[in-house]
Amino acid sequence: MALRDRHRRLADALRSGTLKHTLPAVAALALLAAVPAPVRAATLTVGTSAEPSALDPHYHNLGPNTRARKHVFESLVSMDAKMRLQPELAESWRAVDETTWEFTLRKGVKFHDGTEFTAQDFIYSVCRIPNVANSPSSFTVYTKGIAGIEAPDPHTLVIKTAKPYPLLPVELSTFGIISAKAAGGEAVTFDKAGCKADSWPTTQAFNDGSLMIGTGPFRHKSYTKGDRQVLERNPDYWGPQPAWDTVVFRPITSDGPRVAALLAGDVDMIESPPVQDIERLKSAPNVSLAQAQSNRVIYLALGVQDTPPTITGTDGKNPLKDPKVRKALSLAVDRDAIVKRIMMGVAEPANQYLPAGFYGNNPEITVATDANKAKQLLAEAGYPKGFQLTLGTPNDRYINDDKVAQAVAQMFTRIGVQTQVDATTANVFFSKRNKQEYSVFLAGWGADSGEMSSPLKALIATPIKEKGYGTTNYTSYSDPELDGMLDTALATVDDAKREKLLQAAVKRAVDADIIIPLHYEVTVWAMKKGLSYEPRADQYTLAQKVTPAK
Amino acid sequence: MSTITAKAPPVETPFLRLARDFARSRTALAGLAVLALIVLAALLARWVVPQDPYDLAQLDILDGMMAPGSLGGGGWTYWLGTDDQGRDMLSAIVFGLRTSLLVGVVATLIALAVGVAVGLLAAYAGDRVDGLVMRLVDIQLSFPAILIALILLALLGKGVDKVIVALAAVQWAYYARTIRGSALVERRKEYIEAAQCLALPHRRIMMRHLLPNCLPPLIVVATVQVAHAIALEATLSFLGVGVPVTQPSLGMLIASGYQYMLSGDYWVSLFPGLALLVTIVAINLVGDRLRDVLNPRLNH
Repeated sequence: MALRDRHRRLADALRSGTLKHTLPAVAALALLAAVPAPVRAATLTVGTSAEPSALDPHYHNLGPNTRARKHVFESLVSMDAKMRLQPELAESWRAVDETTWEFTLRKGVKFHDGTEFTAQDFIYSVCRIPNVANSPSSFTVYTKGIAGIEAPDPHTLVIKTAKPYPLLPVELSTFGIISAKAAGGEAVTFDKAGCKADSWPTTQAFNDGSLMIGTGPFRHKSYTKGDRQVLERNPDYWGPQPAWDTVVFRPITSDGPRVAALLAGDVDMIESPPVQDIERLKSAPNVSLAQAQSNRVIYLALGVQDTPPTITGTDGKNPLKDPKVRKALSLAVDRDAIVKRIMMGVAEPANQYLPAGFYGNNPEITVATDANKAKQLLAEAGYPKGFQLTLGTPNDRYINDDKVAQAVAQMFTRIGVQTQVDATTANVFFSKRNKQEYSVFLAGWGADSGEMSSPLKALIATPIKEKGYGTTNYTSYSDPELDGMLDTALATVDDAKREKLLQAAVKRAVDADIIIPLHYEVTVWAMKKGLSYEPRADQYTLAQKVTPAK
Repeated sequence: MSTITAKAPPVETPFLRLARDFARSRTALAGLAVLALIVLAALLARWVVPQDPYDLAQLDILDGMMAPGSLGGGGWTYWLGTDDQGRDMLSAIVFGLRTSLLVGVVATLIALAVGVAVGLLAAYAGDRVDGLVMRLVDIQLSFPAILIALILLALLGKGVDKVIVALAAVQWAYYARTIRGSALVERRKEYIEAAQCLALPHRRIMMRHLLPNCLPPLIVVATVQVAHAIALEATLSFLGVGVPVTQPSLGMLIASGYQYMLSGDYWVSLFPGLALLVTIVAINLVGDRLRDVLNPRLNH
């Protein structure tokens, strides 16, 4: 049985062309030895920097979870390494009118249990997302826009939205599709007010593997929390076959041991080696690196609360309400120095919230560094002697976060704003930040939609729950005109027109100096020489995209 | 003192005898000299080093991660190199030592005061008070010190004052137990009975009669505990819960340099580590010798 399986895999590999390059070598060996060359099972072991909180694809909208999900469960639409949309389980889609979308599904796609993928699986997945118990961060933000789903035939989906909703295809790329049949949901129909089902699958049913039935290139094999997740190749996969029979993901959350594991050969590839080790890895003879600009911007947020929580020396007034003071703080920051000295060059100075090349980036925006101008602006604003502030920062969330904050504190202090740094572990920091206990804080935002409306909506728009605006706006800032610009942009289905509107909005946002961009993180992967990986802007490590080099 | 025998020359005060006994050990003298030097440097920190590492305006990240001996933008040489924020390591170490010593000594003094008061009271009052206090001490000592300190700092937040409070809270139990032990012995001696017969107030008996005779073991424990407190503070700062990042103590300097160890930039971690090591060894040498000279049974 095992032998037959192996032969079938070899045949698959030959058909799909993954063995094309090893074939001459194998042939040569066979000639030399004059015996049939054995086919070795290819295994890829990856050391990850963070572990998923669950294998349930709908439990927690979190980077490591989505990374794990993308191996087993697929979505209608996916994103390539540059975060451009591409077909996955949907072959094509079009906007029928402003509020109606039609998706044509791929035919002949099989779940890991052999059943066929149909429109019902999508409907069931959308229905289940709001019904995941105790979800720490739900995917409902991405299903909220859906007002109705119909399936005229098993391979066509017609999705209605309440109002024009150009981001629908982007949002459909964020969640995985589970098997309706395996979960006993073949009869469930979509209802905006809440779908009806006898029971919904539990997160535990995914963690123990019983419901880990997707359409992805890998099948789930085993999972030991804190130790490893093992996947095996799905020989019936509809797309190109991955190069690996077995993939092992091992969480190694400390930077040093992760690098050491790669150098010792315990793992074949690691995520995000620490920036200070990159030079050394570059010179290591058996290691190669891949790096890409990410969709994550590191920023400073300036709060305009009436009573500033962490500013003193201003008689209780909040100096940050004065645009001149905010401009002065922005001018004080030397982004090039931070990138060069703190990030060791493994980052890109930022002048807005997404790097060039991303949808909505406005090439006309520039940010300057000028300490003298900054001092002058402070004096004009009535603070010639500056004031004292405390800058909040996490110390274990972003690359070198507390070191960047200290560098910023240096630069603020130099223009006369005496700055203290309150660096705490991420969960303490975020709970304090969310209670607006910092006048100024450092944080990061990764645009998972890969376009500009994401940071604008989350970070600077006025908090309006129904619209999903200002979900991470902890500055008390509100600019109705900017909100209006976003409203218009988000209701414009024409891509070119929407981009222009977003570019205008981001210009207005950056000019307000509320969310001051510092740098874009650069994501690095280090792997054994002989492997190659196309670096991804969304920071995911996908085993199906790792190939033995040519 | 009760330990002085009748044979001791009448002109020699207990302190002089102690000093003479102490000086018999060369290593202890060397430890004391090093310790004195460190304390002096820490006290005069502002005048003996080129930079105030806690004044952010004096730092420049463009001078960051320079190797020992490099010439900095400010015109002076960084003899021990700089860290990633452009802090002169020599200045940072001297200032860090100041924080460490301050935390160690003040925390020990507070813990000593609390521990002595509680322990003396327990021994003198006996019975139920004694049982209650000593069970409390038992409970506290059954938890690892680092765990209690971590929990306290998580609740209190950051700052030198908070570290001192946390360390004092961790250490008082040692003193309470130590002084109770010696006070129980002393309490049954005749001079206490005599004092009680004179109907002296309890407080006076405790402070003027009991306490001075229980001091020697306390001095020894306190000296060693200063070193413990310094090491504990370094551990807490290493874990990132001690002092603020802009006012690094030795532990925090070691922690921030630790990330660069694998990359070959050894100086950020190594020099503060050595400074910490030397300080703790010096204090322990002095403490060990004090134990020897204050212990009548080891006294030749």
